[in-house]
Parts: sequence; structure tokens; C-alpha cells
Amino acid sequence: MGAWLDYTINGLIVGNIYALLAVGLALIFGVSHLINFAQGSIYTAGAFIGWTCAQRLGTPLPVTMAAVVLGCAALGVVIERVGLRPLAGSARIAPLLATIGISFVLDQGLQLLYSPDPRSLPSPLPAWRIQVGRGTIGALDILIAATGLVSAAVLFGFLRFSRLGWAVRATAQDSEAARQMGVNTDAVNRTVFAIAAGLGGLSGLLVGMYYNHIDTAMSFQATLKGVVAQVIGGMGNVPGAIAGSLLLGLTESYGVALFGSSYRNLFAFVLLLIVLVLRPNGLFAGRQAMSPEPLTGTFIAPSRPWDVPRWAVAVCVLLAALLPFLPNSAYALQVLTNAWLYALLAISLTLVAGTLGQVSLGHAGLLLIGAYASALLALDSGLPVWLSIPAAGFVTAALGTALTWPAFRLRSHYVSIATLGIGEIVGLVILNWESLTHGPMGVTGVPPLTAGTVELDSPQASYWVALAVLVLLGLMQSRLLGTHLGRTFRAIRDDDVAARACGVSLDRYKGLAFAVSGFAAGISGAISAHLYSYINNETFTSQVSVLALTMVILGGMGNVLGAVIGAVALTGLPEVFRFTAEYRQLIYGLVLLLMIRFRPQGILGTA
Amino acid sequence: MTQPLLSVRGLQRRFGGITAVKGANLDLCEGELLSVIGPNGAGKTTLFNLISGHDRPDGGTVRFGGVEVTGSTPERLAALGLARTFQHGRVFANLTVRDNVLMGTHSRMKLARPGPPLLGALRELFLALIRPPGVRAEEQALRREVEDILHLFGDRLIPRLDRPAYSLSYANRRRLEIARALALRPRLLMLDEPTAGMNETETAEMRTIIGQLKARGQTILLIEHKLDLVMQLSDRVIAMDDGAEIAAGTPAAVRHDPAVVEAYLGHRHMGGEQTPDAVALEASP
Amino acid sequence: MQLTRRAVLAVPALIPFAARAAGPVFAGVSGPLTGPNAQYGAQWKRGFDLALDGINGAGGVKGRPLQYIFEDSQSDPRQSVAVAQKFVADPRVVIELGDFSSPASMAASPIYQRAKLVQFGFTNSHPDFTKGGDHMWSNSTSQAEEQPKLYDFAAALGFKRPAVLHLNTDWGRTAKDAFVAAAKTGGAAVAAVEAYLGTEQDFRPTLVRVRDSNPDGLVLLSYYADGALICRQARDTGIKLPVLAGTSNYSPKFLELGGPGVEDVFVMTTFFPADPRPEVQDFVKRYRAKSGTDPDSFSAGAYDTMVLWAKLVEGWGPTREGMQAGLLEIKDVPSVIYGAATFDPRTRRVQGASYKRLVVQKGQFTLWDGNRPT
Ligand SMILES: Nc1ncnc2c1ncn2[C@@H]1O[C@H](COP(=O)(O)OP(=O)(O)O)[C@@H](O)[C@H]1O
Ligand SMILES: [Mg+2]
Repeated sequence: MGAWLDYTINGLIVGNIYALLAVGLALIFGVSHLINFAQGSIYTAGAFIGWTCAQRLGTPLPVTMAAVVLGCAALGVVIERVGLRPLAGSARIAPLLATIGISFVLDQGLQLLYSPDPRSLPSPLPAWRIQVGRGTIGALDILIAATGLVSAAVLFGFLRFSRLGWAVRATAQDSEAARQMGVNTDAVNRTVFAIAAGLGGLSGLLVGMYYNHIDTAMSFQATLKGVVAQVIGGMGNVPGAIAGSLLLGLTESYGVALFGSSYRNLFAFVLLLIVLVLRPNGLFAGRQAMSPEPLTGTFIAPSRPWDVPRWAVAVCVLLAALLPFLPNSAYALQVLTNAWLYALLAISLTLVAGTLGQVSLGHAGLLLIGAYASALLALDSGLPVWLSIPAAGFVTAALGTALTWPAFRLRSHYVSIATLGIGEIVGLVILNWESLTHGPMGVTGVPPLTAGTVELDSPQASYWVALAVLVLLGLMQSRLLGTHLGRTFRAIRDDDVAARACGVSLDRYKGLAFAVSGFAAGISGAISAHLYSYINNETFTSQVSVLALTMVILGGMGNVLGAVIGAVALTGLPEVFRFTAEYRQLIYGLVLLLMIRFRPQGILGTA
Repeated sequence: MTQPLLSVRGLQRRFGGITAVKGANLDLCEGELLSVIGPNGAGKTTLFNLISGHDRPDGGTVRFGGVEVTGSTPERLAALGLARTFQHGRVFANLTVRDNVLMGTHSRMKLARPGPPLLGALRELFLALIRPPGVRAEEQALRREVEDILHLFGDRLIPRLDRPAYSLSYANRRRLEIARALALRPRLLMLDEPTAGMNETETAEMRTIIGQLKARGQTILLIEHKLDLVMQLSDRVIAMDDGAEIAAGTPAAVRHDPAVVEAYLGHRHMGGEQTPDAVALEASP
Repeated sequence: MQLTRRAVLAVPALIPFAARAAGPVFAGVSGPLTGPNAQYGAQWKRGFDLALDGINGAGGVKGRPLQYIFEDSQSDPRQSVAVAQKFVADPRVVIELGDFSSPASMAASPIYQRAKLVQFGFTNSHPDFTKGGDHMWSNSTSQAEEQPKLYDFAAALGFKRPAVLHLNTDWGRTAKDAFVAAAKTGGAAVAAVEAYLGTEQDFRPTLVRVRDSNPDGLVLLSYYADGALICRQARDTGIKLPVLAGTSNYSPKFLELGGPGVEDVFVMTTFFPADPRPEVQDFVKRYRAKSGTDPDSFSAGAYDTMVLWAKLVEGWGPTREGMQAGLLEIKDVPSVIYGAATFDPRTRRVQGASYKRLVVQKGQFTLWDGNRPT
């Protein structure tokens, strides 16, 4: 019994920390309908600003906190002005990608400035602790809780009683109408970003002191947990975000109590999925009825795709197929083999994200399923590789569709977050299901690519295999898109209510699209497994999902050829910038931002 | 007496505190044109949503074509032959005019879209990849039909067949939506304010078109604010206010019903022109 | 902040003129310079550069300076395979060092194996890494050897019911299995085994579980950053048991990040700056002078690797074949970790690391005096 008190206290303590992360995200989502993927980076920036003040300049805590809030608020304003405002007119997907690019640039900038080594950030608070249960809580726990509550209260007061707060609420309701009524929505967005960034930075400082640990790689986890917490509480709902965070902390703590630490995130993401499926508006949202008729097609920008003539595509494919005959091309071939495998992933994702409008952030899970299915079928069941790869494609199609099923009833951002959770769940199940997957040891000795008795493990052969599979699946997908299926997928994307009125069963067509998508992703993962000879649960992480989405958006949503171009560009760029060593990720992020800025609908445009 | 095509009994829908539809009853026979009028917020669109399966009633029943369909999904109702348009216009913005109308034929595709949920779906995928002659012929036939339907709108849409719907004018989008509904070859066509936002010429044109449809024997349930149009086209009219029926009968009788006059005078807004957004903004917390 | 290219170009300027007669000899390094594991790449560079300062400062090997080409892989298998092709195609590269993580290293192994270029995975403790082919070598300490030593330390501390917390990766898992096996042989009953993810920061609920299994000591098979977090939070959870941390916790960062939380924690290490052996003293003195901090086991491993490479080039010539032949034959290379390193030609790993028993006292690592904790 006593232990449960301890678990409860511990859950509340960590929930407290998530709350600080979630509030800023909720605020931005509430007003801009944007999941700010850069929030985690601002959090990291806040921690490092705090470190600089406290450790280098020796400022007392209140001054450090003020400096962090001001510094990060300024950063938020800059992000809003430079990264997001120019995209105001384009589809919502563009700012989303911009926040990913900004987070890249911020993280890399911090890493260059401060080095990637972890640092300590000791808390200057008195060391007294209060006994609660058999554990203790300290001054910092109380400061964190107080900060969360006070900032929520101040926000509430600001939104409710100040004129600017009224403008923020009006903009959140309907920014177009607010603008017409004379609200300066630019000022509102700036204010919101400043507040959210200030809060995010402050949480970085406090959490850094809590763990006495900051490093430049902590952004993604912070974003992830913050997003989960705020979805549980209700997207865009500030008090809900706090309640959701505490609930998340408690669930994790009890989950650890029952099954151990490796299951913590499994509990977090399963909770996320349950909430999304049962109460998509969040546990703490007021019961919101069916939204009034929205206007059509806002998530994906209307655009005319560039029509690339067929002969041009054929010529490119031919040139690509001849490339291995160039001397000394092994490195280029390897990079392009990766590009083709990523392109397979990207055409898979562009089908569901672009054509069907279900922006999945869980495709890494599909890669993992494909990789493990093929590796285990080849190793444990002795299936020849040329059979295990297509078999893995079918397994991924079936499993992937079944796993995404709960997300079929969700819309826009909720789909992204649910699939992000599903992708994470796949990785965690693979880690924990040892009897099948060998757990953390991964699968070693995955046999190389073979066709019959011919070994295909030279760089040339792998290259041709990957290219041939890509061309085949790319053609198949283009062919599908030319039938009533393509039309139906696009109709669902543009307006699912109208699609249903036409007699379209959403489940059936979403299921079909995810099955086709899962097949391609599974094949990509399977080929990778045979090329790498070793896979484990970390071979494909959520960062791969994010990268794949970047490729898809860059190429033009739903555009098969665009997806291939996006994959080649984003696999090639970091290689091209290799000579810049530590700077290459920074440059890559900047190039990405420029591309979004000047062609938000993607290189080839939405298809 | 023949059985009505659509029969609604005691339909109810509550949103939080307010009851948007309070026990609606209506019967609609084949070939009939029934109009529903009433000031804004009367509950007409909600009633439509309940009938077409886009919203679930809190009470009451809907029978369509002799089967009980209360709480059915919109796709099932579409398969049964119910087509509708939406008050604010819902076209597939990135699809061409042709594809938009082709979407309307979705539930009529027989060869390309075999039956049962799981195996049928897999066969559908397979057929789409193989494209056997039968499937191709079906698609071709539907494509020809699309042009026939669009000819109903004169040269408004035909020249724009391959343009994306987002490039159309507002009035053309409304027409496109009706064309899409017609492509379903509906037994019942439900139009929610088809002339909203149209000028007089366009409205007159729309009146002619609806008249032609009626003449062909199309059963129509119409929501409309423009009373002239309602009076000319309707066989019967139902007037609603605050979710309840306040009058029903012939157009002339309803028009002069004191309760109807009262209802319209009591509301400042008459006619369907103002944006619901402004209302939503005032009403929201 | 140092740019790799610049580093490569800057080195020759320091070399005495005579040494430039022949061109430099190159090693390829595949490792993380950016991304979540960038900190380890940064530590490698410190170890490498220090070793090269010494070697090249003394005129290089047979008059030729040694240099490395560091290609950033982010420890991502997709990039490490591309890097592998790059190195394989570059005739200047005679040996490859790295990658950091097992997935990244082992994905690239087939490529190195085919090209008969030695892949020296000096941090790859995955038991299957060196099974990837006869050109896969590692001087990372073997868990099968190390964990019984850690258990001996635990036994010396009087642990009869230790609870084990381990990182849930291939490394942590291998280490845990070896430790539990050693404990069984030694007659101890392991009270609890808790695996945690690398991204974990909040250990309080795990520690409550551990506490409730009534252990008489905690054993941490962790890296220094998580090790420090666990120690801090153990105190907050009301655990007053003695804590023993494995070798990868040995780092000045462990003290910095752990603060008062790591006071009295026992740490086993292969490498200890106060070790009187001359090669250790030389390494530590120069490392302190250059970086201002004490080295840790990661930079020590990188340093050792460079020294080993120099010996290979010296004895067997600056060729790929020479590297493989040398590794098969070389004996007793001076090493800050092993004392003297010799490879077992069958496992292609090194046996016989020397282990020190330390305890943190007043915020410093000190040799344990043999008194059991009370
Ligand atoms: N999704 C909804 N949530 C809450 N209230 C709604 C919703 N849809 C309609 N209402 C309310 O129901 C009432 C009837 O609306 P509606 O059916 O659109 O009227 P009409 O179409 O006659 O103008 C109005 O008061 C409206 O505000
Ligand atoms: Mg209406």
C-alpha cells in the first residue's frame, strides 16, 4: 500500500514536469492550430541560456529565470516572424514542416555553440526535503508545480481579462473573422509565440536543474512528451494540458510499477491512443459537439502539380539504371540505394499523407515491421530472401493497417499524433517481445539479398534491386492513382463528409490506402534489413518518420515522383554537405527552411 | 395509397442546452417536391443531417424506401439512393470537375467495387491494378454520363471539365455539387439552400433546373429561403421555427399562415446570406 | 569548435619537416558528430587528437604522420553504410575505426568485410560484432570478462541480494546477463533486474520497485549520465543502500552530473588517472593540459585505439593487409585500459583489462580502501 503512495507522488512529480512542456504547446495549438515541433528546441535553448547565466555569469535564480523567459520569448518572436508568418497563406502542413526545420536549426546551433557534452545545472535552491511516503520532495519540485500553476493562472487571467487576451481568443475562434473585426492577428500570433516560448524556455531551465543535466539532444523527447500530454488534456486546452500531464505522469508511474521501466512509454502511448479513440478532443475538453460545417480543403493547399512528361521520367530511370557502369561509383551507389529505399518509404507515406490526407508520423513502425518480418522469416523459418521480402510486405500491409485502424476515425493533427504513438508502440513492443524479436540484442546475421542462388550483395546489385523495386512500386502506385481508387482517396482527403455522402466508406478506403502504403514501407524495411545484416528496435526511430514526412512535403503531397525527388534531395543533401562536418545538419536545416519558404506546396506540387 | 419514399417520425436532436429539432414528422412520396422553410437556426440543416445519416438523432425514426434507416451511416444511405448537397457547399477542391461528378457515381460502380468489406476491398484493389475490360467499360460509361449530367447546367461547367474545383466561382461550385448528387441517380435528392449566394439570374437558372428535375419525376426535399422559388416549385411546404414544425400544407396556405409570418418577422435575419461564422463568434464562450 | 577538415589540415603544420617526406597515413573514422550521440564523437576526437599529437609530435611513424578522416554517420546505419563505401573506395584509408552504436557498425560490416578493410569497432561490445567477418576487430572490453569482475567487487562490498539496473540496449543486456550469471555462480541471489530505455530521465518509480524487492545493494550497468541520474534519484526515493556502478560510469561527468547524489558510490573502472603506470600518467597529464578535465573511459578507448593503430602501421606497414596481419600477430600493445593489449585471433577481442575499485569521496574518485559500507 505504502508503495502506491510513492508511485502516485512520483507520477505527479514527473507529470508536473510534462505540464510545463505541454502548456506552451497547448497555447500555440489553441491559437494557430499548429503543433509546434520547435517547442522542444526552445526548451533546450532555455536550459542553455539558464546555464550560461547561472554558471558563467553567476546570476541568482530569479534573474536567471527572467533572462530565460525574455531570451526565449525573443526567440519565439523571431521564429514566428521569420519561420511562420511568411507561410500564413499556405496550407497548414507548411508551417508544421517549418517548425521541424526550425527545431533542426536550433538544436544544431546549440550543439555547435555549447558542444554536445551533457552539462550539469545545479539548483541554487536550499537542499531541504520533505518526507512524503517513504520518498521525499524538495524545493525544486514545489517551484516546478508552482510555476506550472501560476503560469496557467496568469494565462487564464490574461486570456480572459486583457484586451490582447480577448484578441487571442477571437483569433483562436476564427482568425479570418477576427482580422475582419480589426484584430491585429499578427500581433496576436507574436504574443502567443512569445508567451509559449518563454514558458518553454523556463521549463527547460527548471527541468534541467531538476535532473542536474542538460544536453543538446533533449529536444525531441521533450516535444514528444509535451505533445502526448496536451493531447490527453485536449489539444489547445491550457488547463487541460496540466491535467493531462499529471495523468500521463501517473499512468507512466503505475505502468512502471506494474511492468518495469521499459514499459513506461508503452503505457504513455497506449493511453494516448485510448484517449484519441474515445475522446479525440481530450479528456478534459468540454463536450464539443460535431463541428459546424467547415469549409473545404484547408490542410492541404490547392495547387497545380507540375506535369513531368513521361519520357523525361523514363530517361531519368534509364540514366539511373546505367549509373553502376561508371567506375568508382560505390559510394554514390550506396547513397542512392539509401535514397531509393527512402523513396519507397516516401511514396508509401505520400499515398496516405498526401493522397488520402492522413498525415502519418508512424511510418518508422512500418519499416520496423517489414524489417523484422523479413529477417525473422528468413532466419527462423528459413524462407529464401526473395520470398521473405514480399512476404514481409504483406505482413506489414496487414499489421500496419490493423494497427492504424484506431486512427481511421480521427482527423488532421489527431491522425499525426495517433500514428506517432503507434510507431513508438511498435518499437517498444519489438524491444520488449524478446521471445519473438530477440529484444534489445536485435537480429544479427540477417542473410544478404539473393535471387535463387545469385548473391546480390555487391553495391551494384543492391542498387539495382532497390531501384527496380522502387520503379515497380512507383508505377503500381501511379496506376492505382489513375483509377477510381485514386479519385476516392483524394476525395476523402478534400472532404470526408462529402465523400461519405457519395457513398464512400471511409474505413474501407483508408484501410486500402494503408495496406498499399504498408506494403511499400514493409518492402523498404525488409530490403534494408538484408542490406544491413543487423537490425534492432532503434534501426528506425520516429525521427525517420519525421524525415520521411519532410521528404513527402518537400516533393509535393501525394505526388509519387515528388516523393522520389524529395527522398533523393534529403538523402543527398547531408552527403553533399559532408565536407562541412559538424555544420552539415545546420546547413541542411537552413536549406530545408528556404525550400519551405519559397515553395510551400513542394517541389512538384500537390497531386 | 402508396407507401411514402421517406417517412420521418418524431425526430429529435439536442445540442447541449438547445434542442435543434423537436420531434419532426414528414412524409415524402415518389415524384414529390417538399420544401422546408424557416428562419435561420430553425433546425432545417440539422433535420437534413439526421435524415442523411451525417448526424445521429436522440430520438425518433427515419424510414427510407420502406426500410428503417435511423442512425445509418451516410454511405449506406447513399447506396440506398439518397443524395444531398450541403448548405455551405462541399466540393472536392483538388479534384477536377469531372472527377467531382464521378465521385457521385461511386455507389453505382458495380464491377470495380465488389461487395463484402474485407475480401471485397482486396478484390477492388486487385481489379484496379489489373483493370479488366469490364471494369474499364464501366468507368467509360460513367464518364460519358458525367457529361450528360453537366449538360443540364448549359455551358456553366462543361467547358471547365478538367479544371480543379477550387478554381470555380461560388455559384459554379453549388452547381457542381448538385451535379455530383445527380450522378448518384438518387431516388431522393436533398438540396440545402441551393441558391444561397446566387444573384437573380443565377437563381432563376437554378429554378429552371430544379423544375426540369421535378418534371423528370425526381423526388426532391428542398431547403430554401427564397420564398418565390419555393412557391413556384413545391408540391407541399413545411415551415419550422426553433426546431418545431409550425405549419405544413400547400405553398399558399403555409405562406399566409400567421405563425409563419410571425416567425419570419420575429427574426431579424431573413434570407440565407449572412455568414454563420459571425454568429458562431458571438455565441461562443 | 573545430572543423574536421581543418583539423586534418592543421596537423601537418605541427610535424617536424623531416616527417613530411612521405605523405600521411590515413584512418577512416565513422562516428556521430551530429545527432543524439554527438557527445561520444566529440570525446573520441579528444582521445584521437591527443594520441596523434604525441605520435606525430615524435615524428610520426617511420617518418610518416598519421591522420584520420572523421565522417559523421550520426550513428545511423543508413549513413554508416554510405561512409563505409566511401572509405572502402578511398585507397588512402588503411583501417576504419567505429562506428559508435551496434546497428550502425554492424550494418557497415559486410561492406568492410568484402573490401578486406579492417573495421575496428572500439566501442562495439555486442557479442556478435566481431562475428560479422574476420576483418571485424574490437578492443572494447568484453562483458563476459568484465561482469564477473564487477560481481567480485559487489561480493567484496558484501552484496548478497543485489538489484541490477541496466540500460535496455544490446550492450546493457549483454552486461546484465553476464553479471547475473556471475552472481549465480558466486552464490548471490539477484533481488531485482530493471531494464530502462536510453531516453529515460525519471527513475523514481523504477527505484521504488527496486527498493521494494529488498536488495542489499544496487548495481548500475549504465552510462555515466543515466548512472548519475539514478544515484541522485535513489537518495530522493529514500534508498540508502550502497551503489556499485560499472565501468562506463567512470567519467568526470559522473561527478559533475551526480553532484552530492553520487557521494559514496562505488565505481569500477578499467582506467584510472592515478594509476602509476607511465603510459597512463603521460596520457592523463597531456589530456588535462589540453582539455582542462580528466579523461573518461570513452576518450581513453579512443586514445588506446590510435596508439594501437600507430603500432600496427609501424610493425606491419601502412596497408590494409598490414592492418589485418598485424592484428593477428600483435602482442602486448601498451594501453591505458589494458596495461598490455593482445588480441585473441579467434574472437578478435582483447582479454585482460585491468580493473580498479573506486569510491566517490568528497566529490572525487578515490581508490577504495577495502572497508565495507556500513
Ligand atoms: N454542431 C452543432 N453544435 C451545436 N449546435 C448546433 C450544431 N449544429 C446546429 N446547431 C444549432 O442548432 C440550431 C439549428 O441549426 P440549423 O439546423 O443549422 O438551422 P438552419 O439550417 O435552419 O438555419 C441552431 O441553433 C444551431 O446553432
Ligand atoms: Mg441551414
